[in-house]
Formats: sequence, structure tokens, C-alpha cells
Amino acid sequence: MAPVSDVAAPEIAGLRTHPLTAVVQGARWAAAASVGLVGSIFTGDGWGDLNPFLSLLAALAGGLVLGLLLGFVSWRFTRYVIDGAELRISSGVVTKASRRIPYERIQSVDIAQPLVARVLALAELRIEMAGGRDSRTSLRFLRLADAATLRQVLLSRAHGEEVEAATEEHRTAITVVPPERVVLGTVLSLDFLFAAVGSVALVVLMIWFGQVVVLLGGVLPLASWLGQIVAHRVLQQWDFTLSRGERGLRIERGLLSRTSQTIPFARVQGVAVKEPFVWRRLGWQRLEVDVAGYAEHDSEQQEDSSSTLLPIADRVLAAAVIDELIPGTTTADLVRTRAPRRSWVFAPIGWRNRWIAADDTAFVAHEGWVQRRTSIVPHSKTQSVELRQGPLQRRLHVATVEVHTPKGPVDADGRHLDEHDARAALVAQLERARASRA
Amino acid sequence: MDGLFAPVEGTWQPVSPRLATVRRILLVPLLVALALAGLVLVVLRLGSWTTVLGAALLVTGLAGAGWTWVWAGRNQRSWGYAENADDLLVTRGVMFKRLVAIPYGRMQFVDVEAGPIARAFGIATVTLHTASPETAAEIPGLPAAQATRLRNRLTELGEARGAGL
Repeated sequence: MAPVSDVAAPEIAGLRTHPLTAVVQGARWAAAASVGLVGSIFTGDGWGDLNPFLSLLAALAGGLVLGLLLGFVSWRFTRYVIDGAELRISSGVVTKASRRIPYERIQSVDIAQPLVARVLALAELRIEMAGGRDSRTSLRFLRLADAATLRQVLLSRAHGEEVEAATEEHRTAITVVPPERVVLGTVLSLDFLFAAVGSVALVVLMIWFGQVVVLLGGVLPLASWLGQIVAHRVLQQWDFTLSRGERGLRIERGLLSRTSQTIPFARVQGVAVKEPFVWRRLGWQRLEVDVAGYAEHDSEQQEDSSSTLLPIADRVLAAAVIDELIPGTTTADLVRTRAPRRSWVFAPIGWRNRWIAADDTAFVAHEGWVQRRTSIVPHSKTQSVELRQGPLQRRLHVATVEVHTPKGPVDADGRHLDEHDARAALVAQLERARASRA
Repeated sequence: MDGLFAPVEGTWQPVSPRLATVRRILLVPLLVALALAGLVLVVLRLGSWTTVLGAALLVTGLAGAGWTWVWAGRNQRSWGYAENADDLLVTRGVMFKRLVAIPYGRMQFVDVEAGPIARAFGIATVTLHTASPETAAEIPGLPAAQATRLRNRLTELGEARGAGL
């Protein structure tokens, strides 16, 4: 190409994603098309007189061709530009779309590798901004090395640093969660036990009575739930590696699809410590984190549990990681404001476990009966504070105080506390939030 | 306890009584129309079932209209807001009381909205948004001029004290 053409067509400036994007998209479409047909093979009806396996093959081929075509066209029209102030992505064939991402608004940048992309050494770059369900921007697909470089550039610019050539930051490993531990933890969780025992019992009943059709309705949902739990907790958390960089924590995980997440220290809005029933006796905990933007996707796409900070860990490690994110916090020796005995009406067993506390850096709320949950919110991240009282609460002189955080697993609520305590907590929390901002 | 929902400092600013009028105009005619429809059914005497249905509609419509009339007044009087040095405080509710305090620096954006009837009565609703969806900080029934003033002041304070996310 002659150098003159660059000047002649300034509109087309910008970079393209990797050409193999079309292949990955095609494979995903084919997979989606075949998933729908697998079910119909089980029930035995294909398309008219067509053999079910033939129809599966047809769907695969059709999905692949259509996907390749759509993937190619969308790739052809997608370009991205990185300049001094923002990242711009333009896409769309019929409806043109252009998105501008100012660096200072970036909450986090993740790299995801779905299975097909991983085979081809490609990766998707996910950029999170705060707010709304459209706050995630995906750039798919780039070469893995390019994606990593781009992430470094975006993250350092998000921190207001002027970088031209980004270097991979120095990282130290915090922990690797061994797969067998993840498997063990999943097996020992109540919902897994329930789903597994339920499925087995139903299958036994089905064989015993020979009532296949009737019981199929019970077995299939339970079994698919079981599959979801395994996919969610085991496959996605496989080889979970947590490491510390200069600007944040890095999480790498996944057996089939690999995901690499970066959580900048300053973007953490709160941490939730969850202790499921069986785990508590073994001293195990799960850590989840609130980052603005993450939770918006978790509810729609079950596949993506991006708010997990540590799938399973003992207390010492969990405390060390919390200290990493919110320095100087201890949940152990705080002056706890407990829910009074008269609040048993609202939680006959759980009232004993409810308390709130605060130290210089964070507000802590604890509750739960089957699964205990401790929510930790740094004072500097307090979005707003609320005090509530319903008619029954008024009669019992109790009230609820809530510290609001962005949507996510963290829910710092002190429910049904003594009304004077609740009011005092509200006033004190406002004061602490003010002090932390100053 | 009376002081439970008192402002942290200062006093509550009430919202305009016109809020109750607007709500009555919006809701009461609908309920009265329902009652009238019931009355027609009762008078026509089409059959025992329609008469019973008509009577039920008549009673629900009238009771609903009366209750809405009273509720609108009580609810309007329960609203209050206070602009403190660092936070905006909003209170509301008769049976279910709430008090929300939002630090100015946490504000993401402010909405002012007014429906056609609210506009005719010169009142508007100001809503404050933070990064948390739980922050339900709306103040309905503000006189238009006051709503604009509050929005401008909040935006100003939010910019001055903005702490990012």
C-alpha cells in the first residue's frame, strides 16, 4: 500500500481485531445451534423424517457457516483506536455504533479466553465501567499477547500515568487454590449435596417404578442444576491463582475457558466473607468482592462469576487477602453491637448471629444462620446510609440500619438492632465516612 | 421513640402540600369511576352474580377512594429533607419510616422530573443517584423553583466534593 493512502483515508484509521475472530464466532454459533438439538435427540424426534443425528450435523454445519459469515462481516466493520484521552471502538454494519471509553472511567480490565479462542491463542478484552447493564465493553478477539499489552496500557492510563510502551508489571503470587480443594469444597456445600442426593433418589425411583416420563420432569431440572453448580464452582474456579501487582490483585482461573481478571485496589467497594454450613466447621471461607459494574452481568450470565475473590480458603489466608484490599481491618476483636433478644420474632434462630461493628477503616456487618456472611465496607466507599423501621419493628423498639454499596455480593445491613443503637450507628457512620473522605 | 427519625442537625424541610392534591387528582377519579361502574351494575340488576360483583366494586372503589384521600395527606406530611453541611438527608413514610443520608461527594447525578399534572401545580420530583441502586433518595413535591435550586446546589456540592467511586 502506498504511504499516500493513509493521508487520503483518515477515517479508516484504527486497528482491527484478529481475523480469526470469525472462526471463533462461527464455532460458538455452531455450539449454540447444536445445544438446542441435543435435547430433541433425547426425546427422539428430529426434523420431520430426518434422522436426529443427521439433523444435529445439519445444525452444526448451518450454525458454523452462518456464524463464520456473521463473524467475518462484524470483524470487517470493527475497529478500535487508542489515543491520549480515550479508547474508541466503532462497530456495526447496518447500525453504526461507536463507543468512547475515557480512561479515568475504567473500573477494571479483564481478559477472557473461551475454549475455542484459547485453542487459537486468542483472547477477549473486557472493559468495565461503572453503572448500568451496558457498562461492559468487549473487544473480541485479539492475540493473547496483544490483549495483555493493551490491558497494561489501559490500566496504567486509568491510573493517570502516561505510558507509551507498557511493560508487564511485577507480580507476586499470593495463593494458588488447588483443584482438589475446589472439588472438595463443592461436594461439601449444601446445595450440591441436595441436588446430588435428589437426582440419585429420583433416578432410583424412576428405575424402581419404571415411570420414565413422569419422573423425567424432576430429574432433568435437578441434574441440570447439578451441572450448573459443577460448571460454576469447579470448572470456572479450576487452577485459581491470586497474585498481587502494583496496582491491584490479579485472578487467573478456569479449566476450559481461562479468565484473567484485574481488580485495582482502589476500585474495591466492599468484601463479603461467606461461610457455608459445612465449611464453617472446617474453617473454610469464600471471599467475594464488590466492584462497580461486575454484578450487573453476573445475574444474566451465570457462566461468569467474576466477583469471586477466593473460591475457598482457610481463615488465615482469607484475613491476609482482606488486609491486602482494606489495610488495617480486623473482624475479630471489634466492639460488636448485637441484635437484641426481642428481635427473635424476625429471625427465630439467626438473631444471635447478627451484629455490626466498625473500626477506623471499615464498617462490618454479620448475619446468617445456615450460611454466615460478614460484609466489610471501607468508610471511604460508603455510598449512603439508611435507617428503617416498620410497624412491628416500632412496637419492639428495633430498627434496621443499612450501609449502601454498589450492586454486588456485599450487603452491609444491620437488621433489627435496638433502635438507639441503629440511630447511633447511622450518625457515627456518617461521621466516619466524612472523616475518611477528608 | 420520637428522636429516631429526627435530622442529624437542623430541622426537616417539608414538601409542598400540593403533592397530596396531585396524588388525589391522579388516583381518586380512577377509584370513583370504579365505584360508579359497580353502581351501574347494581342498578341494572342483570343477575345475582353481576349484582354481587357490582356491590363489591362499589364498596372497594369508595373505600379505596376514601383511603387514598387520607393516605395522600398523611404521606405528604411525612416527607422531609435536610441539607446538612456534608450530607443530604431525606425522610419519609408513616407506617414504614425511612431516613436516608447521602454524602454530597457520593452523588453521581441528579434527576428532576414532573408529570403533566405535577407541572400544572408547579411541583417536581428531585432524585439523587449514587453508585448504589439501594440509595432511593427521591424528594417529590418540591415547588419548581426550589427543585431547580436544589438540583443546582446538589450538582455544585457534588462537583466540589466529588470523591470518585
